[in-house]
Amino acid sequence: MSYIAGVDIGNSTTEVCVGEVTGKGNVTFLSSASCPTTGTKGTIENVYSVKNALRMAMSRIGRDTSDIDLVRLNEAAPVIGDTAMETLTETVITDSSMIGHNPSTPAGAGQAVGETLLIENISRAVQGTPYILAASSDHSYEEVAAVVNQHAELDIVGIILQADEAVLVENRIHREIPIIDEVRRIDRLPDSVPAAIEVALPGQTIRMLSNPYGIATLLGLNAEETRTITPIAKSLIGNRSAVVLKTPGGNVHENVLPAGEIYFYGDRNVTISLDEGADKIMAAAESAGDIRDISGQPDTNVGNMLSRIRTGMSEVDKSSEADIRITDILAVNTLAPVLISGALAGETCLEKAVGIAAMVKTQKLPMQEIASRLTTELGTEVKVAGVEAVMASLGALTTPGTQLPLAILDMGGGSTDAAIINREGQVKMTHQAGAGELVSMLIQTELGLGERRIAEEIKKYPLAKVESLFHMRMENGQMTFVDESIDPRFFGRVVLLTEHGLVRIEEDIPMEKIVQVRREAKRKVFVTNAFRALRKVAPDHNLKNISTVVLVGGSAEDFEIPEMLMESFTDYRIVCGRGNIRGCEGPRNAVATGLVLSYLGEMP
Amino acid sequence: MIIKRPSIFIYTHEADPTVVKDVCAGIEEEGIFYDVTEMPDTCMEKLAYKAARDSMLGSGVGIYGTAVCLKMRGLEKGRNIESYLEPTRAQCRCVGSNSARAIKKLPFKEEYRI
Repeated sequence: MSYIAGVDIGNSTTEVCVGEVTGKGNVTFLSSASCPTTGTKGTIENVYSVKNALRMAMSRIGRDTSDIDLVRLNEAAPVIGDTAMETLTETVITDSSMIGHNPSTPAGAGQAVGETLLIENISRAVQGTPYILAASSDHSYEEVAAVVNQHAELDIVGIILQADEAVLVENRIHREIPIIDEVRRIDRLPDSVPAAIEVALPGQTIRMLSNPYGIATLLGLNAEETRTITPIAKSLIGNRSAVVLKTPGGNVHENVLPAGEIYFYGDRNVTISLDEGADKIMAAAESAGDIRDISGQPDTNVGNMLSRIRTGMSEVDKSSEADIRITDILAVNTLAPVLISGALAGETCLEKAVGIAAMVKTQKLPMQEIASRLTTELGTEVKVAGVEAVMASLGALTTPGTQLPLAILDMGGGSTDAAIINREGQVKMTHQAGAGELVSMLIQTELGLGERRIAEEIKKYPLAKVESLFHMRMENGQMTFVDESIDPRFFGRVVLLTEHGLVRIEEDIPMEKIVQVRREAKRKVFVTNAFRALRKVAPDHNLKNISTVVLVGGSAEDFEIPEMLMESFTDYRIVCGRGNIRGCEGPRNAVATGLVLSYLGEMP
Repeated sequence: MIIKRPSIFIYTHEADPTVVKDVCAGIEEEGIFYDVTEMPDTCMEKLAYKAARDSMLGSGVGIYGTAVCLKMRGLEKGRNIESYLEPTRAQCRCVGSNSARAIKKLPFKEEYRI
């Protein structure tokens, strides 16, 4: 009787499974554990996470790591995934020609065109010229209202305020004009330039300033100028209020950044520019056939990114540097909110971008080194055993209701792997770039989040909106009431329902938008990749020849990805579902379980 | 039928007039009605509790001297949304603004830019 541990080192998680094997060849599974992988997969740093996970698993059965008789390590697939994001367009506003602005409480309604007039210069104003008055926060609402009322003879058609006092001013003046407040950088507002201001009616969004011809009408622009202000109009869509200035030297460009070209070396060599967008890039990748290597145009964004991934991998496998190749990429179209340079109130503009996940392949990972280090540190025998995909298939077969032939889809953090094992036990497998980490990156960029950590959590947990101190509405519309009042910090916010309680999303983004971005990101990455991967391994590359698919890996644990895949596979009559390893582990631990099981076949 | 204007109640006791003015300005900017009433209690929490209880909107502010406190109906004793003993002008505005945002179901402001 002996304790056998299976260890699976993944891109982001290390999983272990401990089983007890009797002399007769019966195995009882005792415990399992998982923890984040330390260092890049396949490097000596992994030893820490392996030891940690083993300790966790053994302590659950009240034993020590020294009681383990044999540790079986997976022959990890020598692929590492990495992600990057490149913006393709950029909006630059020189000389601050606009304020696209969305204060929560503007006042008044309607449009106005006039010359900007700082409140300090009111004595200079002449009758008959329409003015838009601008006041910094040094002037209180009472002062501003008094000045406006005093100069009843002046034609003041709109007001721009730095302080959040629009309603206060409106309630104290004798005319009805649009007022915009909370313009932080009012000091950069030029004096005596034509400006247009618009505040939408309650419940509506602006119409004139979000329309290029509307701006042209208000500011009297010619056709050429109208073309240049189109990006402004675009970025103002959906706002409740806005200001557009016409400065003499002011200008707006939508720059198209030289993003570089990608070279595919395969059955055919194909070159494609990154500007073409994700669909064209993926079509090019397909037309290249079996890809040996991928590289980027030197000294461009994509070139630097691909060479960075390559160098990262060369640190893992120092022995044969020449043989490190990028064998797959997944490109995804996305939109990234980018801070407009030259804006007055921190406005952003949605820019086109391409997210890329690349996969690097080398001959072999130095697993033997890890094994020998573990042997010395644990004092037990450590063996590198079995190919990852075979082990995963073995583990997946412990899911109740499965049989050969079987396809597995291993959706991890760095790559999406597929394998098919037929009745004879022959395995065919493939690795595709792009998985959980690319989803996190897409969520982060599309929502303009400051931190990757929050994007990771948005990916993992459902959302809710705290509607009062005693109840919240879930993203599916359900209401939940609580006994004790919710912390006021969460009031009115969108929160994540994690196992450790509520996590607040700092950014002011509607819940529906977050849900939509999250689902779209998952669909773009996992559904695309599932089809790509399974088509590669399917007999005759036809999905109809696959009958069962078991989803395993960390991303299969997700609360919506398996459902998305199930829906998309229904057309092919494929039985597809989240694996349940050993009937209890869920989709995790397949490889580790497979490693313990495969020991039986090797028993003396 | 008695029709009352839905408003936020502000209960005061010997309140500092500048504090009251800025709290009211904060509410006004958010576009909600308010009523200021002088009460005999000498505790900002008690004033706020009663104000929240009596307001049909369920949001109340208590001001005793310069001390200001924001409560919502149903909140347990000792739990305030926000309270200050000697608030700055911005903090007063913030209390007013948040008492209104509580009703509009908008997130509370943590800092107020005047």
